[in-house]
Amino acid sequence: MRRLDRHGLALTVALGVLAIVWLLPIVWVVVTSFKVTADIVKLPPEWVPWPATLDHYHEVLLGSSRTARIGRAFVNSIVVAVGTVVVVVVTSAMTAYPLARMRFPGRTLVFTLVVGSLMIPNAVVLVPQYVLVQRLGWLSTYQGLIVPEAAMTFAFGVFLLRQFFLTMPGELEDAARIDGANAWQVFTRVVLPLSQPVLAALAIFAFRSAWNDFLWPLIAVNKPEMFPLPVALALLRSAYSSESYGPIMAGAALSAVPLLVVFVVANRRIVEGVRLSGLKG
Amino acid sequence: MSPGRRRRRQAGTAYLFLAPGLLLFAVFRVYPLLEGLQLSFTNARLGRATAQFVGLANYTRLAEDDRFHVSLVNTAFYTLASTLPILAVPLALALALNRGRLRNLLRSVFFFPFTLSVVTVGLAWLWLLDPVVGPFNYYLRALGVPTRSWLADPATAMWAIILTTVWWVTGYYLVIYLAGLQDIPRDLYEAAALDGAGGWRAFWSITLPLLRPVLLFVVVTHVIGSFQLFGQVFVLTGGGPGDATRTVVQHLFEAAFQNFFQFGAASAMAWVLFAVILVFSIAQFRLLRGHTEY
Repeated sequence: MRRLDRHGLALTVALGVLAIVWLLPIVWVVVTSFKVTADIVKLPPEWVPWPATLDHYHEVLLGSSRTARIGRAFVNSIVVAVGTVVVVVVTSAMTAYPLARMRFPGRTLVFTLVVGSLMIPNAVVLVPQYVLVQRLGWLSTYQGLIVPEAAMTFAFGVFLLRQFFLTMPGELEDAARIDGANAWQVFTRVVLPLSQPVLAALAIFAFRSAWNDFLWPLIAVNKPEMFPLPVALALLRSAYSSESYGPIMAGAALSAVPLLVVFVVANRRIVEGVRLSGLKG
Repeated sequence: MSPGRRRRRQAGTAYLFLAPGLLLFAVFRVYPLLEGLQLSFTNARLGRATAQFVGLANYTRLAEDDRFHVSLVNTAFYTLASTLPILAVPLALALALNRGRLRNLLRSVFFFPFTLSVVTVGLAWLWLLDPVVGPFNYYLRALGVPTRSWLADPATAMWAIILTTVWWVTGYYLVIYLAGLQDIPRDLYEAAALDGAGGWRAFWSITLPLLRPVLLFVVVTHVIGSFQLFGQVFVLTGGGPGDATRTVVQHLFEAAFQNFFQFGAASAMAWVLFAVILVFSIAQFRLLRGHTEY
């Protein structure tokens, strides 16, 4: 028994060391972002940013005229990610509910089409989606980012929520119906409040994919003031010479903050959401 | 109310609920998919008022496009070379974490990179792997390991991209594996232990077979994702050195949005890519599903 314990302890220590190594790239980004420029390229690498400076943050948020400002890009990303979450949650919930709970002709067909679309690689619809968004006059607009992002996550949302609705006991809905509630009232006052955990998981999933998507905004936005963070960061890189890692790392660190906050606050939900996403296999 | 009328009313209600979602789905998923197929048979370009039907010309031209072939080979290489680490690294971590202490804390640590965007990940590794002043090469030199400019060397550039990607997505698959491991009934292991089968035997004869659906999910998800490799390459190498890390989506992106906006040709590439992904996915379903009956 004691040998087993020692074995377990050694494993935990090894995993702990590996976990620290795993975080080093992120630590390095943050450390670099606080270093004065002269210290950044010093060898051996210094892991304590002393003397520390906020200059790089100041430059990317306020000072830079060379490229899209990270501050503005941050706001754009928030608008797009929140907008996407709203559209995804509303449309997937309204679609998944009748698929789980109502009988109507075409139900199997609708479900098969939506779930089948999970197999469509996003890259395949890139060009026609651009043509469509251009025709709508939506290039370089928030809706031109939000609606296609939402469409990318919609099928997953429908799948996830339908699974959840199927497992919900029907008694509460029946009780509400006997009390005279119509279908919409049952949905908004009984079903949705009971689904908060799974709705939160979907919201985080949608937020993450909209916040991090790179290829679509790279194509759909050509005005610098409308760039979301990943595009602004990628261009920030080419705006500076390769030696000035300070501002680039400040931008990279800033871009990680919102999801870090969500992650710390709602760790459980994220894990649950990923776990549920795996069930579709 | 007659049952027929009630059924019709419920169908009406159902379609009212479905309307917004189906509108989004039809306009932004189904329509672009079909439109893309149609475009692939035309010579459409940005700004060209009328596109002409050109039959299979875009596809036959792809057959002769050497850079497209290189992109396809690179993408396939990346997919094949990264599949084993993507399957094995998170699985090993999941097995080690499953019973141990600090499970949730360590799971969070490994998951954290997955919350970052591909650009953030790319920039971080670009800096780490900097051949002259980056810490990666500095510590390798300190250990006496020969170093090189990993991203600028055609022999190693794709491997550096694989390393970056493994670091990025391991946490995601780790969480999925951990959930799969939790679903395996404990008494199976106890029964096996009574029969004298522990450790490796139990892993091969209980864990791996029961994890097969999860493995299938991981492989299929990974393959669909890696055939669309773009962001890492865009940030880390730009497809270089030469065309050593050029990928299909990058080729498509450049054809459609940088060189003359050839929408027809790019759509043909998209459909070839789609076909390749479908073939791989179906093959994996066959391979991994074939043995589940026992």
